[in-house]
Amino acid sequence: MQYHPLIAFFVEQGVPVQTVLLLLMLPVIATLVAFFRQVIGIKAFGIYTPSIITFALLAFDPNGVKYGIAIFVSVIVVGMLARFVLKRFRLLYLPRVAITLSIISLAILIILVIGGMYQRTGLAAVSIFPLLIMITLAEKFVATQIEKGSRAAFILAVETLIISVIGYFLVSWHALTALILHFPWIILFTFLINFSLGKWTGLRVTEYFRFRKITRYL
Amino acid sequence: MFDFFKKSQGLLGMNARNLDYIRPSNRKRGMEIADSKLLCKHLLKKNGLSVPELIAKIKSHEDLEQFDFATLPNSFALKPNRGFGGEGIIIVYGRKKPARNAAPENSTENPLQKSITNNYQGNAQAGALDREAGEWIKADGSVITVDDLKSHIRNILDGSFSLSNIPDIAFFEERLKLLKLFKPYTYKGIPDIRVIVYNRVPVMAMLRLPTKHSDGKANLQQGAIGVGIDLATGTTTTAILGKGHIIEYVPGTRMVLSGIKIPYWKDILRMAIDAQAISHLGFLGADIAIDRERGPVVLELNARPGLSIQLANFSGLKGRLNRVKGLKIKTTDRGIRVGMNLFGGEIEEEIEELSGKRVIGTVEKVKLIGKDGKEIEVEAKIDTGAFSTSIDTDLAKELGFEDVINYFNSLELPKNFSREEAGSIEASLRKKYIGAHPDLADIVIIYSSHGMSMRPKVKISAMLDQVELSLLANIIERDELSKKVIVGRKNLGRFLIDVNKVSTAYAKNV
Repeated sequence: MQYHPLIAFFVEQGVPVQTVLLLLMLPVIATLVAFFRQVIGIKAFGIYTPSIITFALLAFDPNGVKYGIAIFVSVIVVGMLARFVLKRFRLLYLPRVAITLSIISLAILIILVIGGMYQRTGLAAVSIFPLLIMITLAEKFVATQIEKGSRAAFILAVETLIISVIGYFLVSWHALTALILHFPWIILFTFLINFSLGKWTGLRVTEYFRFRKITRYL
Repeated sequence: MFDFFKKSQGLLGMNARNLDYIRPSNRKRGMEIADSKLLCKHLLKKNGLSVPELIAKIKSHEDLEQFDFATLPNSFALKPNRGFGGEGIIIVYGRKKPARNAAPENSTENPLQKSITNNYQGNAQAGALDREAGEWIKADGSVITVDDLKSHIRNILDGSFSLSNIPDIAFFEERLKLLKLFKPYTYKGIPDIRVIVYNRVPVMAMLRLPTKHSDGKANLQQGAIGVGIDLATGTTTTAILGKGHIIEYVPGTRMVLSGIKIPYWKDILRMAIDAQAISHLGFLGADIAIDRERGPVVLELNARPGLSIQLANFSGLKGRLNRVKGLKIKTTDRGIRVGMNLFGGEIEEEIEELSGKRVIGTVEKVKLIGKDGKEIEVEAKIDTGAFSTSIDTDLAKELGFEDVINYFNSLELPKNFSREEAGSIEASLRKKYIGAHPDLADIVIIYSSHGMSMRPKVKISAMLDQVELSLLANIIERDELSKKVIVGRKNLGRFLIDVNKVSTAYAKNV
């Protein structure tokens, strides 16, 4: 593969090409999240969570989606169970989140051990950081549960997962990575796209759906 | 398909709301007022608008420790200052009375209550009694203790219910009392009226009714009912449940949601516009409730009003906002007039003006005024196939005609006669019995699809669409029928009947 001279220069200076690529990909992912919010209407947990989960999925490679989704779902399920259990104790916010996080990390540990027992060490072999990122997702989840209820939190979690998986496929799409390494300037287009998204006042796709029942009366 | 997109142009979406309306119209100061219920309450009150009275506020954990729960009245609402979407609000209906068998030596309950509350602070023995002193009943009938309230207040203080978890203030305010008119439509809680005001013109409004599903909260996201309102008349039109399910009745009942006349309508619009002037929110959603004793009060102001109001009204906000944009509205009265003229049911009014007659639907609410002035509002079938007006026996009894019904039933009435004889029998019955009982105005023999029946007639006054009627109604069992009253041709001379009126939306939907 042929790098753009600028990328080649970065690599020569000792910045790993993987790092360069990920940093250049961040604007693409952020734009994707913004697009999903403004045009499609899929909310997810803000912009940080779906972006970071996308990178966590990448770090789980070569089985990113499989392991990533498994861990993500485990975190959410355990998080919901923990809320169910902790509800009756009426704890203050931070201690409650702390307990939830602890329960989740223990659960993940158990999952890794069980995986090992069945000779599925692929999961245990991945770096700890993507795992930690996934676990801390629980805070966002618990906060949303308190603010908007379990149902809304669950929907937002699913939306986050959808955006992250799409982001994952986008970032691991070889044509795109090659394009960016070859013409790094094209990421400047994301500014243009985000600028137009920022001025976009049309209805979102989900809003067409939301108002579909009354459009005939308008 | 193309038509679909074209029609959707009148709808206001999130993007346009934020960019075109909230951003340019709602300055930081206005947002602060809307986001802090206490500040909002203070400012509105200072400017002469009624608001629910503040009982106490708790600013910190220290305040909480020192707060004497015994000073709370029997009913109150506990709210987070910066809560949103109706979250974190606890409404308490009354103090729980101590169980009788738990304290048999106390013949009256109040002294016990008092002694407990006196002991409440710090006293060692109060600890055991504490539970009984500080127990209240919530909207759903469940019990809430002082400990529950404290824990809830701690959650509020820690910011569990505020945006991005910033520490918050908890406050108690007076609980509003439900208006009788709304009672049959409401499950617990208090309905409120959301009015969107832009450029000093009310552009859209909806009545929000709490349901069982919404846990007594008037919040559509939580499953309340939203009913659209015709701005000119303050009469409800179409309705949705929760996030957009179109309905015609209150779920589980036969209460029609359209045609409810909201009292104090002009005052409500006036308050909404005044609240806009006070808060400097160019694009405002004012929530106004009606208290049984105090009339309309402003509950809170929203700088980011939701979009569901469009669903409830079957109408787009964007189209309406565009029509109001750039108008120079100098006074509140002018704002009310413009809103009423632009967004009210012009067609109906025009017909009414031309013909001098009221336009009504096939099902209308009728207020019957009974013998001793007792008023009962029911839904009546407007039936041009019937000559006279009939009302159900039970309803007539409720209205104070029990005596005459019993009298009529005690009469020996002829049976088994031919239809030819009916006229003479009717005449002879009239001769014999009219005047015998003060309420018996007439006796009629009626042939209907159910066969022949003899019915007593009584005089009764009624209000139908603001027109006072003096009815001569016959009384008959209408148990198995959904409407307890039929209004017949004889009493409909001053009306025009529009068969589509009540259920326009529903009919099209089916």
